[in-house]
Amino acid sequence: MFAARVSAARNVQRVARSFATAVESSGVKVAAVDNNGPTSSLTVLVKAGSRYESQAGIANALKNYAFKSTAKRTALGTVRESELYGGVLTSTLGREHLALTAEFLRGDEAFFLDVLSSFVTSAKFTRHEFQEYVAPLIEGDAAAAASNPAILAIELAHLIAFRQGLGSSLYASSHPHFGYKDVQEYASSVFTKDNIAVIGTNVDQAKVAELVNKAFASASSAAGPATSASTYFGGENRIESSSGLQTAFIGFGTTGAPSAEVATLAAYLSPSPSVKWSKGTSALAAAIPEGASVQSVYLPYSDASLVGLLVQAPTAAGVKQAGQAAVQALKKAASGVSQEELTSAVAKAKFAAASAVDARAGLVATIGSKIFSGSDLSVASTLSTFDAVNASAFSKAASSLVSSKPTYVAVGEVGSLPYADELGL
Amino acid sequence: MAFGPLSISLAPYVQSSKTLLKWVQPLANWYANASRYRQYGFKYDDLLVEENPTVQRALSRLTPRETYDRAYRLKRASHASVLHAPLAKDQWTKPEEDVRYLVPHVSNVVAEDAERAKWDNVIVKKH
Repeated sequence: MFAARVSAARNVQRVARSFATAVESSGVKVAAVDNNGPTSSLTVLVKAGSRYESQAGIANALKNYAFKSTAKRTALGTVRESELYGGVLTSTLGREHLALTAEFLRGDEAFFLDVLSSFVTSAKFTRHEFQEYVAPLIEGDAAAAASNPAILAIELAHLIAFRQGLGSSLYASSHPHFGYKDVQEYASSVFTKDNIAVIGTNVDQAKVAELVNKAFASASSAAGPATSASTYFGGENRIESSSGLQTAFIGFGTTGAPSAEVATLAAYLSPSPSVKWSKGTSALAAAIPEGASVQSVYLPYSDASLVGLLVQAPTAAGVKQAGQAAVQALKKAASGVSQEELTSAVAKAKFAAASAVDARAGLVATIGSKIFSGSDLSVASTLSTFDAVNASAFSKAASSLVSSKPTYVAVGEVGSLPYADELGL
Repeated sequence: MAFGPLSISLAPYVQSSKTLLKWVQPLANWYANASRYRQYGFKYDDLLVEENPTVQRALSRLTPRETYDRAYRLKRASHASVLHAPLAKDQWTKPEEDVRYLVPHVSNVVAEDAERAKWDNVIVKKH
């Protein structure tokens, strides 16, 4: 009897575990999936990333203004009331999207959607909150980014790869030249109905759609800020940094929708082992000197992607040695890989894409890029693109990437870190 | 806050009644001029007791321009006091310049403190 009950429960779960499809609720896109988990989450995703910002750093300021005073609650009231419900509020900024997320116990979605939507529809953007709470957070973000050479390298790589749009930094300068009024103007330009999507996990889609319909009724229906399509440029740059490891980023960019081939290339290049505390089996993993690390970086956006290797080592000589190995691995991928290597790379990339959807942050990142373009949200559609990857398509994608102008960034001791040509680029 | 920066005041009541305002306003104007702070270039809110955390926090919310002007008025008045004479007549505060620039911030801070006290002592009922 027990066995029967278990299998019945499993069947129920399988039926409920379908993936979200988007519906429109008073102009706002809504997608929700119920996995029968004990906690729920709601994310209000706004096309307000650094790509759309009117002044450098203003998207970061808007992110840090989240959950401050609104017409309905003060900043303190928001925090205390959420604490009483046992919820967690976060705001995260990407290059394309600003995500306002609430995680809470099942059944509290009405309250938390109200918290999220009141920031979008009726935030006050007061001057004293900007000075007392937001400015220190902007400075803190900027200081944390400045002390991390990996973040510096990726930021600079975006800048030289895409220049405008995706090139804008996620961080503001530590002494920003804008005030609270500019943030308010930016917010009113991006908080428009067709710029907003609501993504829920472990909540009933019909109920969320109904709540969204009410909550966002007063949102503006003007058009959001215009943006031009991304163009890939590439180039070389190096900046001095005294903190952290010596860092180099070797990357290539493509424009157009992210393809499964490029994701597979990133998985193929990744020297990270499948078993903890062991060394990876790829040729690149064997060539990396002791103490150095090489991480594969794959950053897909709606109309471009950046793929590459982030090389870090305690010394500039270590970066040079590991960087040469990384460039060799890139060139080898472009010249063609064996069927066996390709199969394992496809499996690795497919697993990465599938397991990203299991976590909330990954789900929002995966769905976020699709929900605004109106494409199929199901994870099956993402995974099926990997089934179509074959050796010729892979080597064609890899060789066209590698033949484009590389994006090379060195962060650390600029005097001794290698130049791109010294690594064989 | 009987004796704080926002002490008990009949002003809102007087302002709500047109007849009362018509009778009291000339008296109030006479009193404001007679107390002579305007002759030393002050605004009324410069006289607010500032030696408490509430008003200090409100002062930190003034714009840089307001903070500068306030400091200037205080220095100019101190100097006039040393000279035992009011300022020259063209430097007196005109009645229309005598605006309550600080009190709105003080009332915001008071409201925030009250809200914090409310949340600190809230009794939660689950229903």
